[in-house]
Amino acid sequence: MDGCQSGVPTYEGDLHVVAAAHHIVKALGATKNLSDDLRKILIDLDSHLSMITSNIDSKGGRGLVDVEERLDQAERKIMRWETDPMMIWDSGPKEASDYLEAVDETGKLVDGLRGLSVHENRKQKEILHRAMNILQMAMSRLEEELIHILVRHGQQFEPKHMYSRSIRKDIVYDESFISVEDEPIKETSSRNYSNDESGECIVDLVHADVIPDIKSIAKVMFTSNYGPEFCEALISVQKEALEQYFSFLGTENLSIEDVLKMEWTCLSSKMNKWTWSMKIIVRVYLASEKQLCDQVLGGLGSVSSYCFLEISKATILCLLNFGEAVAMGPHRPEKLLRLLDMYETLACLLRDIDTLFSEEAGSFIQLQFHELLERLGESAIAAFEAFRVAISSNGSLYPFAGGGVHPLNKYVMNYIRMFPEYCNTLNLLLKNQHPGVADQVTEPDYGLDASLLTSCPMAYHLRSITSCLESNLHKKSQLYKDEALQHIFLMNNIHYLVQKVKGSELRLFFGDEWIRKHNAMFQQHAMNYERATWSSVVSFLKDDNPGSSSMSKSTFKERCKGFSVAFEEVYKTQTSWSIPDPELREDLRISTSLKVVLAYRTFLGRNLAYTDDKCVKHTVEHVENSLLDLFEGSSRSLRNSRRW
Amino acid sequence: MTGTDQSSFLGRISIRRNQVNAMEGYHEQEIEDLELFQKQLSDRFAELLSAPDDAPTEAFLSISWIRKLLDVFLCCETECKAILLMERDAAQISKPPLDRLIPELLERVVKAMDICNAATNGVELVRHCQKLAEIAVSALEQKPFGEGQARRAKKALVSLMSAMHVDDKESSVQKTAERSWSFGRRSGNKDRHHGHYRSLSWQVAKHWSASKQIHAMTMNLAAPRGPEASCLPAPVYILSLIIVFVMWVLIAAIPCQERSGLTTHLPINKHVNWTHSLAGIHDKIGEEWKKKEKKGMAGLLYEMQKMEKLGQSLIEFTDSYQFPGEKEKLDEVAAQVAELAEVCRRMDEGLVPLQMLIREAFHRLVRNRTEFLDVLEQGAPVV
Repeated sequence: MDGCQSGVPTYEGDLHVVAAAHHIVKALGATKNLSDDLRKILIDLDSHLSMITSNIDSKGGRGLVDVEERLDQAERKIMRWETDPMMIWDSGPKEASDYLEAVDETGKLVDGLRGLSVHENRKQKEILHRAMNILQMAMSRLEEELIHILVRHGQQFEPKHMYSRSIRKDIVYDESFISVEDEPIKETSSRNYSNDESGECIVDLVHADVIPDIKSIAKVMFTSNYGPEFCEALISVQKEALEQYFSFLGTENLSIEDVLKMEWTCLSSKMNKWTWSMKIIVRVYLASEKQLCDQVLGGLGSVSSYCFLEISKATILCLLNFGEAVAMGPHRPEKLLRLLDMYETLACLLRDIDTLFSEEAGSFIQLQFHELLERLGESAIAAFEAFRVAISSNGSLYPFAGGGVHPLNKYVMNYIRMFPEYCNTLNLLLKNQHPGVADQVTEPDYGLDASLLTSCPMAYHLRSITSCLESNLHKKSQLYKDEALQHIFLMNNIHYLVQKVKGSELRLFFGDEWIRKHNAMFQQHAMNYERATWSSVVSFLKDDNPGSSSMSKSTFKERCKGFSVAFEEVYKTQTSWSIPDPELREDLRISTSLKVVLAYRTFLGRNLAYTDDKCVKHTVEHVENSLLDLFEGSSRSLRNSRRW
Repeated sequence: MTGTDQSSFLGRISIRRNQVNAMEGYHEQEIEDLELFQKQLSDRFAELLSAPDDAPTEAFLSISWIRKLLDVFLCCETECKAILLMERDAAQISKPPLDRLIPELLERVVKAMDICNAATNGVELVRHCQKLAEIAVSALEQKPFGEGQARRAKKALVSLMSAMHVDDKESSVQKTAERSWSFGRRSGNKDRHHGHYRSLSWQVAKHWSASKQIHAMTMNLAAPRGPEASCLPAPVYILSLIIVFVMWVLIAAIPCQERSGLTTHLPINKHVNWTHSLAGIHDKIGEEWKKKEKKGMAGLLYEMQKMEKLGQSLIEFTDSYQFPGEKEKLDEVAAQVAELAEVCRRMDEGLVPLQMLIREAFHRLVRNRTEFLDVLEQGAPVV
C-alpha cells in the first residue's frame, strides 16, 4: 500500500483510474467468505481511494468538507454515549450497530487521512487529530463495553451433572486397623466415570447470543490497532472468572508446606477434590475457554492462543503445585489409591493438555504436566512399596484372640481388591519394579494355560503381596501356644484370603492354580487341627484288643472318664475360638463330628453292658450337640451337662 | 562459570572418593574439596557483585542478573549435594549433629519451594506490566502523534502504575476477591481492571507471607564453629545459606505475596572468606530495600524500577500534553519511549526464560529433598 501514498492524481485520466479501482474494490468487498486479513486490506484500500477522490475534489474545497461532515456525524454518535449512563450493548442492537458503524467510519477516515501526506494541508492535519481523538475515546469505550458484556453474560455451569464425585471410602493403614470393616464395597459407586466417558463437553462460558457482539468489538478494535487493549481486557475478566470458578469448586490455593503437614483425612479429601476439579477444569472449563478465545479471536494468528494461555496459566500452575506437593509427601500406603486416581486423571488429560497448549508458548505448561505425571507415578510406586513393607513388618506381641481372621488380613485383602480397577496403570508403573528378593514368591506353574492376566506385572506383585501377608500370618500364628489354635488361625485366614480372591476380580489375576493351592492349604490346616485336638481325645475310645468283644469295666470306666475330662476341656477352650465363616465352621464341625461321634458311638456300642453306669457322663447325642457350640467365639462350660 | 568447570569439579570429588574412601587422609581430602568449592563460590558471587548498577543489559538485579544468580544457585546446589552425598556412607549423614542439621535444611527447602512458586506468580505480574508498557510505547510511537494517542498512552501507563504498586498485603487481596461484579452503570468500572492481578491466583495460600518464610528460614542458621567448620556441617550450612539468600533476593526483586517486614539481615558470617561477595550483594540489596520499602513497590527488579521511573515521567508528559507539543519536549519523550521500548524488549526476551529457570530451581529443590530423605532413610538406625 505504500506505493499509493506517493501521489495525488492531478489530471483527469488518473481520476478515472481511481474511480475504476474504487469500483472494483467495492465490488470485491461485497464478496462473502473473505478472510479477515483480506477484508481488512480491502477496507483500507477503500477508504484510501475515497480519500484520494475527495482530495482531488478538494481543489474545489468540497472534499475535505465532505470528510469533515462525515467525521462530525460519527463524532456526534460517539460522543452521545459519553454522557449516557447506559451501556450501549444493553440499550439494543440498533444502538450497538450504529455505534460500531460510527467507529468504523472514524477508523476509515483516520486511515484515509493518514495515507495522505499530512504536511500539505493544515486543515487536513487538524481533522486527522480530531478523528484520532474520537477514535481513542471510542476504543476506550469499547473496552468498557467488552468487559461489561463478558461479565454480564458470563455463565457459570454447575459441575454436578458432569461427574459424580468419587465417594470411595478410604482404607487407612494404622496399627490398630480401626477403619477396617468387612462390608462389601459397592464397586459401582466408586469410579463411575471412566476415562473416556466425559468426551468433549464444551459449555458456553459466555452466552452464545453475545459472541457476535464480542466478535464485532474485537474486529473493530483490532482493525484500529487496539488489539492489545482488547486482549488485556479479555484476559483480565476471563482470568478472574476462572479463578472464581476454581474457588466455586471448593479448591483453594495451598502452600506446599501446608500440604506436607496436612492430616491424612483432610489430604485425602483434597486429593479427591483435585482429581475431580482437574477433570472439570481441563475437560470442560478450559476446553470451553479455548473455544471462546477461538470464536472471538480466530483468524488473528496466535492472539487466541496467547490469550488462552494467559487466562489459564495461573490456575493450572496452582493445580500442578498441589500435585507436586502430594507427590513429594511421605509415601504412606493409604495414599496409593488416591495417587493412582491422580495419576490416571492426569494421564488421560495429557492429550487434552497437549492440544490446548499446542503452541510454543504453551510448551511450558505441557512440560509441567508431563513432569508431574512422572512424579506421581514414582510416588505411587513408593506408596506401593510402603504398602508391602507395612504388610511384612506389621508385628504383634500377643496372639490374636480366638484365632479368627486377623485385621491385617482384612485390611490387605480389602485394599488389593481395588487394584484390578487400576490394572492398566499398575501394570505400566510396576513393569520395571521387582519385588524384593526376600519376598520372592514360589510361582505356581501356570504352564501353557497361563492367561495374560495371571502373568501381567500386577498379578506378579499381587501374589508377592499375599505371600508377604501369608508369611506374616505364619509369624503371627507362632504366638499361639496351642498348636490346634495355630491351625485354626491359619485355616481361617487362608480361607478368608481365598474367599476374597475368588469373590472378586482378583481371581483373574491369581489364577485357578493359586486358588487350588490355597484351598488345599487351608484344608490341610483343618486336618492338622483335627489331628492336634482330637487324636488324643479319641485315643481314649480306641479298642486295644480289636479281637475281644469287650474291655473290663474298670478300663471302660477309666477310658470314659478320660474322654469326658478331655472333651470337656476341649469344649471349654474351643467354644471361645472362632471360625467366622459359617460354612467353614459347619464343615469343620461335621468332619469333627464324623470322627469323634462315630468313635464314641462305637465305643459305647461295644461296651453296652456298662453304659448304665454313672461313669458315662455324656450321651452320644449330647456329644454331637456339644460339638455345635464350638468356634462360636464365646467360652462355655459343660459342667452341668446331665440336664441336657 | 561454565558447565565444564562444574563437571570437572564433580568428577574430582567422585574420583577422590573412590580412591581414598575409608583410607587415612580422607579427612584432609574432604577439607581440600570444601576449600575448592568455597573458592568457586566466592568467585561466582564476586562476579555477580561486580555487575554494573546501570547498564543496559547486565545491570545489578536485572532479569539477566537474576538468571545468572539462579544459574549459580543450581550449580552450587549440585556441588554441595555432591560433597554431602556422593559416595558417602548413609550412616554418616544420620549421626549428630547432622541428624538435626539435615532435617532443618529440608524444612528450609520446603519453604524455598513455596517462595519459588510465589516468584513464578510474581513474574506473571511483571509480564502484565510489560504488556501495559508495550501499549503505552506503541501509542507514544504513533506518527502523527496527537492528544488521542497521548490519552491512550496515559490510560495504559496509569494501569501500569497501579499494577506495579499492587499492595501485596493480604487484606487487599481479599477485598478484591470479594468484590462482586456489579456495574450496570458505568461509574463503577472506571478503573476496575487495573487491579486484577491482585486476584486469588496471585496467592500462594491464604495467610502465606514471603517475609515470614524468610524469617523462619533464618532460624537456627548459624555458621558451624571449631572443628565442625571443616567437616560435614559446613556444606550443610553453605547450602542452607545459599538457599535462604537466593530466595531472599527473589522476594526482594520480584513481587510476592506479603513482603512487609522482609528481614534485611541474613545471618551471613562475614569472617569466612567465601561470604565476602555474598555479604556485599546482601548489603547492597538491603539498603535498596530499606529505601524503597515505605513506598510500596513492585520490587527491586532493575527493569521494573526503570519502568516505574519512565512510566511516571511519561504520565506527567501525557497529562500536560497539548497538540502539537514543543519540539524539545517531544525529543526528550522520544528518548524515554525508546528506553521504555528497550525495557519491554528485555522483558520480552528474559521473563519467560526466567520463569522457567525459577521452575527448574523448584524442581531441583523437590529432587534434592527426595535424595536427602532417601539417604536419611537408608542411614536410619534399624529399630
